[in-house]
Amino acid sequence: MRAALALFLLLPGLALAGPATVVRQTEMRREPAFDSVALARLAQGAKVEAMERRGGWTRVKSEAGEEGWVRMLLLRHEGGGAAKQGESGVVAAINVARTGTSGRQVTTGVRGLDAEQLANAKPNAAELKKLQGYAASRDAAARFAGAGELQAQSVAYPKEGE
Amino acid sequence: MSARRIAALLAVLALAAAAPAQAQFRLDLNRLVDTAKNIGKATGEIAEKEEIEIGSDMAARLLGAAPLAADEALQRYVNQVGRWLASQTERPDLPWKFGVLEAPQLNAFATPGGNIFVTRGLVAQMNNEAELAGVLAHEIVHVLKKHHLKAIQKTAQVELANTAVTTFARQDRNTPAREKLLAAGSELYSRGLDKSDELEADRLGVVIAARGGYDAYGLPAVLQTLQAMNPEDSGLALMFKTHPAPAERLEALEKMQPTLDAYAAQKQLAARFAGTARR
Repeated sequence: MRAALALFLLLPGLALAGPATVVRQTEMRREPAFDSVALARLAQGAKVEAMERRGGWTRVKSEAGEEGWVRMLLLRHEGGGAAKQGESGVVAAINVARTGTSGRQVTTGVRGLDAEQLANAKPNAAELKKLQGYAASRDAAARFAGAGELQAQSVAYPKEGE
Repeated sequence: MSARRIAALLAVLALAAAAPAQAQFRLDLNRLVDTAKNIGKATGEIAEKEEIEIGSDMAARLLGAAPLAADEALQRYVNQVGRWLASQTERPDLPWKFGVLEAPQLNAFATPGGNIFVTRGLVAQMNNEAELAGVLAHEIVHVLKKHHLKAIQKTAQVELANTAVTTFARQDRNTPAREKLLAAGSELYSRGLDKSDELEADRLGVVIAARGGYDAYGLPAVLQTLQAMNPEDSGLALMFKTHPAPAERLEALEKMQPTLDAYAAQKQLAARFAGTARR
């Protein structure tokens, strides 16, 4: 169990790992900051290997073998990871838990929320009551935020049309 | 009865009729007429009380398609994250409720009045609390901006133009016109909102997550995860049908780069997330 938890804690670094393409020309920098040294210029469409994200930057390895940081929003990831081939493993795994059958069987008709099920759904009053029972008060939420050392910030919405 | 009142009445009727089998959701016709009158009297917008009632009916329907995940700790955790975010907005005192739906598909939903859902399938793809916050904040914007409420009103107005409205409200539940409108209301979640609503929810959602003290890149990170997945995956079909492609949403978020970067170093809380959502 502890090992499983440790593995999950590692996942953030792995989450966006894998081959990716740069959507427009950009600099690859030594550190994840605009004022850091530019190591190389990556052309639009350049292939890189994404390794980890820090803030708005992703550490990548270029085809030339150089490592550095590029803007996260400029990367589009490609297939190659476990979640990128066909049915996502997670969907299958959850279905196994739900149905006790193999994931393979459910790929033709995944259970849960699809358009048809939504269209045919009947209201479920008992679940609505449960939903209400789980609600958190503003005070409880503020205490929860404090426990996570979350600090509220004053941030303006973007102006319309911008 | 003005066209606006009638349109609002139709919207309310459509939703009320969505639940004929459940006595507690069956709003009686006189009350609906009163509601429509009130709507007409006020600013033309649906009053908050009605907004909340409509949203509860819609939430009950979503819960009929997929129940809540049987994990109280997870449900309470998501409610705390969500309520903290909602507290940073212009509507902090709505009866906000958050739920994880037991469904493998990757999706999230909002209904009017402050009901927010995220599927277990989507939670399973997240890496930290900031990513969860980013998704919840996106849905919170749909409520703040009344995206669904306005879409339903618009549908009702279209119906109004095509229907003999004076007889409409007197018709039995099972008449074709009534069913048509009801279907339009319930189809909202399989048809999707306007693209501009979704992109607005992304932009403002990033701001709300930043206000809550979270790494503002939580939502972009989820979008990048989705973008890396196979779009043919059946778990993604409905979300991809009802939302702009993740790549397009990421591109649109470049406008928000100053805000994203100013709050990129805030909390991600990966350990707290893993402790509750990954057990």
